[in-house]
Amino acid sequence: MTFRLTCPVCGPRDVYEFRYGGPERGPRPDQEDLDPEAHFRWAQFRMTRPEAQEEWWYHAGGCGVWFSTVRNPATNREETS
Amino acid sequence: MTRLPRSSALRIDTDRRLRFSWCGSARAGYEGDTVASALWSSGVRTFGRSFEYHRPRGLYDLEGEGASQLVSIDGVPNQSAGTTLLREGMAVAAQNVRGDPRSDAFGFLDRLDRWMPAGFYYRVFHRPHAAAHFVHNRMRAMAGLGILDVSTSGDPGRREEIFLNADVAVIGGGAAGMRAALAAAGAGTRVCLFERRPWLGGHLDWRLGLEGADGPDSPRARGRALAEHVGSDARIRVFTSAPVTGIWGENLVTGFQRVGAADPFVERHWECRARTIVVATGALERPLVFNHNDRPGVMQADTAWRLARTYGVSPGAVVVFSAGDDLALEAALDLLSLGVDVPAIADSRPEGQDPELVSRIAESGAELLTGWAASQVVGRRVVRGVQLAEIGGSTRREFPCDVVVANAGRQPDIGALSCAGARFRHSTHTGSFELASLPSDVFAAGRVLGLTDSVEIEATGTLAGLEAASACGASVSGTLAAARAEVAEGAGAPPGTGIVRGPDIGEGRKAFLDYDEDGTWKNAVQCAALGFDVPELAKRFGNFGLGPGQYRVPGQNVAMAMAEIEGRPASDVASTTVRPPIIPPSLATLAGPNHDVHKRTPLHEDQAARGGVFRRAGAWKRARYFSADYTCREEIRNVRENVGLLDSSPLGKFRIWGPHALHALQRVYISDMRKATRGRCKYSAMCNDTGNVVDDGVVIPVGEDDYYFTTSSNRAGSTVEWFRYHTRYDGWDYNLLNLTDALASINLAGPEARAVLERVTDADLSNDAFPYLGYRVIPVGDGVEARCMRLGFVGELSYELHVGASYAQYAWDLLWDAGAELGIRPFGLEAQYCMRAEKGHVIIGAESEQRVTLLDIGMGWLWDRSDTASKKVGAPALRACEEQDGRLELVGLRIDDAGHRPEDGAIVVDGDRIAGYVCTTRVSGALGYQYGLALVEEGFAVEGTTLSIYEHLRSDDVRTSATVVPPHFYDPKGERLRV
Repeated sequence: MTFRLTCPVCGPRDVYEFRYGGPERGPRPDQEDLDPEAHFRWAQFRMTRPEAQEEWWYHAGGCGVWFSTVRNPATNREETS
Repeated sequence: MTRLPRSSALRIDTDRRLRFSWCGSARAGYEGDTVASALWSSGVRTFGRSFEYHRPRGLYDLEGEGASQLVSIDGVPNQSAGTTLLREGMAVAAQNVRGDPRSDAFGFLDRLDRWMPAGFYYRVFHRPHAAAHFVHNRMRAMAGLGILDVSTSGDPGRREEIFLNADVAVIGGGAAGMRAALAAAGAGTRVCLFERRPWLGGHLDWRLGLEGADGPDSPRARGRALAEHVGSDARIRVFTSAPVTGIWGENLVTGFQRVGAADPFVERHWECRARTIVVATGALERPLVFNHNDRPGVMQADTAWRLARTYGVSPGAVVVFSAGDDLALEAALDLLSLGVDVPAIADSRPEGQDPELVSRIAESGAELLTGWAASQVVGRRVVRGVQLAEIGGSTRREFPCDVVVANAGRQPDIGALSCAGARFRHSTHTGSFELASLPSDVFAAGRVLGLTDSVEIEATGTLAGLEAASACGASVSGTLAAARAEVAEGAGAPPGTGIVRGPDIGEGRKAFLDYDEDGTWKNAVQCAALGFDVPELAKRFGNFGLGPGQYRVPGQNVAMAMAEIEGRPASDVASTTVRPPIIPPSLATLAGPNHDVHKRTPLHEDQAARGGVFRRAGAWKRARYFSADYTCREEIRNVRENVGLLDSSPLGKFRIWGPHALHALQRVYISDMRKATRGRCKYSAMCNDTGNVVDDGVVIPVGEDDYYFTTSSNRAGSTVEWFRYHTRYDGWDYNLLNLTDALASINLAGPEARAVLERVTDADLSNDAFPYLGYRVIPVGDGVEARCMRLGFVGELSYELHVGASYAQYAWDLLWDAGAELGIRPFGLEAQYCMRAEKGHVIIGAESEQRVTLLDIGMGWLWDRSDTASKKVGAPALRACEEQDGRLELVGLRIDDAGHRPEDGAIVVDGDRIAGYVCTTRVSGALGYQYGLALVEEGFAVEGTTLSIYEHLRSDDVRTSATVVPPHFYDPKGERLRV
């Protein structure tokens, strides 16, 4: 797996510098009247289809920012939304 | 050892003689020699035996283009003699040889080729099936290259890897590559230039001009001038001795580098992520296929030329050429100028030679035969002569000689381009495959485009460099148009013949398309007859280009040969695809860096001097023991009875502050962090979304919206990421600072701890002023500020002091001196682990793993279940598994058997069913028995239950019994902590 990602702080960098944080799945659900099943789905299920998706990346080998970007896992290229 | 007269192109230092051995006999060369040039100069002609037929093989090329020149060096097989620099004391040996390489015992195999047709591994000796295995093993034992002797090839030397970023990666440091690098750097982009040879300049390096004088206008002078420019341009990083192994997705260029003795690393793997790539890999010699073209003494034009100019070694006494391009003619003239006898030069091109070269050859007295090519080598073991033949005619002439220089012309070195995804098509004009299409961010320049004119080569270099810079967004509009115009004016690639084989290839004689795996012209014919008529099929069935040299020697010849055999135009066939590694690095390099990169605490040397035995713990090297007794009986006893000192610097230390700092703490910690009060350590844990404990530590409010907190050592590196991840949607305003490396941590523990600390500080340490779990900032010694926590991890009165890393040694020394009379001794990590286990304190990773929740390990009391507003990480999972059946529970173990102690991780069984597992076991001096912690099913967690622990040790079933006890063995009420 080799490609580049664009860090909002540092610019385009090698993917080795980043750690994957999973696809975008919305903010942490409210815990009042929580449906355990729904929370389980939110916390544990990851869906990756071969199409553009918003996902989270952490610039571990750089500035240490979490950011989201739109990447297509089929091409490994970022797509500007 | 005699070398040719000194010339300016020489790369050897004749003042520095190096001794080495060849198959056991003493030889010598010079500093700067490669193994190949040193061998050739010391009279070695046969370097080894071929893969299958055991034919003698010699020095065909100096670039590692094939298996012929592979040798074993110091027990490491398959080293390229042509590219490995000679070192003092090297033991070099021939490969695939029984006895002397000149009279190999398996040489008879050469006469058995009738039974070894193309693809014979797939076709013969398969029936009866039982015998096939035996026969194939026998064949494999006789065939092959080097043999890895695992008993002698132990230490692979130190390996390194580096990761580079560049706007433009330029592959090839010849004239075109250097011009590309200069143009791209001039446009403001950052360039990495990779050259496989130890120097820049490509073939310019050994070309002194037709006068042989190295004047100011000579190619060599031009190469040097360009190299100087490149070297002085701060935007260009130059990597020499750095072959490219491949080009991968999104312009990742990989390779390795082997610099030599001056480098602390034997070999380095590098990866360069580039935005654009310029490929200027130049041209390879396309071999001429003729009878016995593999005899030692048959070589490339560049091999003969470089032996003479770069290494000062005469290639032979009498050298006959069978050439296909102007560079080879220039080489012949240069050898003549050095006094080498060149009686005849055949040129397969009927016309089109550079007229100046032709007239100079005429002046020199050498005979130029245009439209001729070599047809057969004379001599059984080495070259004794060569027969030249008129192409399409019947005239034959034989010349006695000891070296035959042969090529069919040049072919673009398409390796890197092919890996990058370029396409090629056959050109009847140049007689070779040429570039048809390139990926959008890859550019090509120089001889790889088939060019031979030096002005055009440099112009395409400049253009490619500007195009690459432009694709990176640099503004090059003016210069780009001019560069395009200059390239458009060029004449382009000159014509070539496209001839593959010499006349007279027939039955019974071997003419090789591929030396590496003994692929002959006849094998190619057999492939076609069996239906493997397409180059990619013939390549696999007949093993053309599957050897170490890959595409280089057989390269385009295979495709063109298949076309000729099938009677089709070459433009109908596709060339075979080149795959990485283009040039193979050693396996040890691919295995990755083999040196230990670790962190050391500021007290490392001091502990080493006190007899510390260090072990790797996460990123750190930590003192694990302070004696050879790995049960640490004495270390523990001293802490229990007197006082001990532990370097706990790797502990994670953080400051979080800002208006929303408490919000963040509430999110990641499972407890109610609002209850944390100034001057007091609040212990808590972090869970993940599955309710597993990932970390524990203490949090201390130190100011308004300002907190100091600790994490476990292994967790320190990912804490910032964790906080930021779990608050990423909230837009909270807080700062988080990792102080782990900035602060050292010293743990002072034992009944005398207070007495020791009182001697180094003025602060009031009485139980009332500084109670258990208190936090004070106290001055130690001459007023060094120490963050001091009164904790009890090991179960004794204990103070943990955090001081600036640069004050660590000072504070450590103070405590030593203060404790000298009180019996202070160091203790290590293992003693700490034992003592905490006696207390039943969990360690994340020992008593918890990815299936174990906070509730399982009995720490549910930490969880603030009333708080749903903070959306604590892990709270919903804890709620869900609270009433779940079948969960494990943490219990203490008292091991009934005094002899055997089960290992950490042993399983608890109920009959033949697994009912839990042992987390930790230790032997306790304080308790007088073996004890441990285990996670077991609910039904087995009742106090007094007898557990059966099962291990499979050295093929024996071992069962140990243990009794369940509460998981607090030592001082269960915690009175010793609070004194």
